[in-house]
Amino acid sequence: MKIVVLIKQILDPRGITVRRDKERVFINREEYILDPGSKAAIEAALRLKESGDSTATVIALSMGQPQADDALREALAMGCDAAYLLSDRAFQEADVTVTTRVLAAAVEKLDGADLILCGRESGDTGAGQIGPRLAEALGYAQVTDVYALTAQDGRLQATRRWGEGYATVETMLPAVITIAPAAFPPRYPHGARIMNAYREWSVPVWGASDLGLEEASLTPLLAFRGESFPPPLEVGEKFRGDPARVAQDVIMALKQQLISNI
Amino acid sequence: MDFSYLDQWLEEEVGREEIEEVSTGYRNIWVVAETAAGSVLPAALAATGQARELADQIGVYVYAVLVGDGVEPLAEKLFACGADKVLVADEPALAEYQPEVYVKVLADLVNRYRPEILLLPATPLGNDLAPRLAQRLNTGLISHCIRLGVDMAERLLLGTFRVLGGEVYHTAACPEARPQMATLEPGYFRVPYEDPYRSGDLQRVEVDLADVTGRLTWTDLNARVELPPVPLSRARIVVSAGRGMGDAAGFALVEKLARALGGVVAGSRGAFDEGWIDEKQIVGVGGEFIAPDLYVACGLSGDIYHYFGLQNARFIVAINPDEKAPIMKVANLAVVGDAKQVISAMLDLLAQ
Repeated sequence: MKIVVLIKQILDPRGITVRRDKERVFINREEYILDPGSKAAIEAALRLKESGDSTATVIALSMGQPQADDALREALAMGCDAAYLLSDRAFQEADVTVTTRVLAAAVEKLDGADLILCGRESGDTGAGQIGPRLAEALGYAQVTDVYALTAQDGRLQATRRWGEGYATVETMLPAVITIAPAAFPPRYPHGARIMNAYREWSVPVWGASDLGLEEASLTPLLAFRGESFPPPLEVGEKFRGDPARVAQDVIMALKQQLISNI
Repeated sequence: MDFSYLDQWLEEEVGREEIEEVSTGYRNIWVVAETAAGSVLPAALAATGQARELADQIGVYVYAVLVGDGVEPLAEKLFACGADKVLVADEPALAEYQPEVYVKVLADLVNRYRPEILLLPATPLGNDLAPRLAQRLNTGLISHCIRLGVDMAERLLLGTFRVLGGEVYHTAACPEARPQMATLEPGYFRVPYEDPYRSGDLQRVEVDLADVTGRLTWTDLNARVELPPVPLSRARIVVSAGRGMGDAAGFALVEKLARALGGVVAGSRGAFDEGWIDEKQIVGVGGEFIAPDLYVACGLSGDIYHYFGLQNARFIVAINPDEKAPIMKVANLAVVGDAKQVISAMLDLLAQ
């Protein structure tokens, strides 16, 4: 089985402070990390490989800036068999439709895949569109927001979020599966593999011409129309009095917070 | 009375509409009305209400699309919530969700009737279906919107969504491709008041499923999932106990509250000294430094050593009988009262 994992490098959110009152985003530390959703997708792929099909190959693909090389080497260190970076100046303005086109071209250059895994949504923009869009572009089946995954005789059982709960579906291959990050906590790479990832293995870079993409086909469909901020949080609102009444007020306030912030 | 101005006005209106029709060819706002267990989902009703508001702004009709098996009677509800027309694709083959089949049905309808805007609720089904449909239609999709608006000058849908964990909002538009698509995050849009006297057009539509088959088999619709435990450093909701909880029974209340809120239990060094938590659960200097979205401090005074560990929390709730405790000054929401009583009352309410 050939498994392709789509990964993304994002700006480390721990280096970003948002000041709602100043309506500004401060980047204190410009460091890039492998997106948690991508890590979970790699973990899911490696578990599939380890649980049964040991002949499976896991290939990591990332479209991004040249520094996304680090993210791909981290994927190799975790256990992926090969990694390719899709990077080109023409990809810089990419929105999700352009990214889909690039990724689809790369998967075709790899002669297709049995299974494509990616995070349900990324930690920065979080649109959650790549998986289904790529499935459509390649004509694959799809299951999104998956919490458990097992493979058996060319079919795949996936437990996914459905309605208010979860449901299990069986899908034919080839398929695109998007992974819920909470369900697949990633492993730590082995020290020797981290060294090898930099010393021994290489990460080929494919540009637009390698993928047979013309620049004209890489114009985004969505346009950015501004940034705004949620209202600043108040400090020091006090509740007192009868516990039952207070509890009710607190839960109301909590529900509002949970829905608007989490 | 002279009503000639009305004719003139109508003529102008009609004239303007014709120009619009020629220039884009796409009109009206559509909502994909998701159903479950024989009723329209509240999130889909809310999307219909939002579509009504947008339609009134730009002067077009609201269409709701029902896809499924035996869904035709649900049209009444959609009329009551603001739909002018309901398109019904009612087939036994559409009873269960298959991405390729639903995409085919909706793409055929869109290509035939050409809506200007297409909205879906951001439910598990909507999040699965909308991007695939957008890809098939070769158009842009603004997903997980928490607010929608219209740029009247360019007649564009503006969708606002959260980035960076909800601390920043971005707004996007789809200037060229049509239809303009968006998914609406449940809970952010009001379910409209129903007007039972409102009525509209119901139209059954033919679906052509000859050359499309679903590739999914739904084997269990009530699956259970055991999520792996979340380490304290990465928990989004943390409920924390201090010595003020009194005894083990008091601490048990804190544990119950954490479970009810879907969070993780932590505590101060005091709670560790009492033997309620282990070393890895201490928040503050010498323990964990955390940045959850919600931190609930129960019976905890919050001295400076503890506060260092939680100062990056986004929203702090403190329950403490002492109004002058340091934690009460930094809490977004400070409850003055006996922690045991307040937590018991909260648990009762959450259990309902």
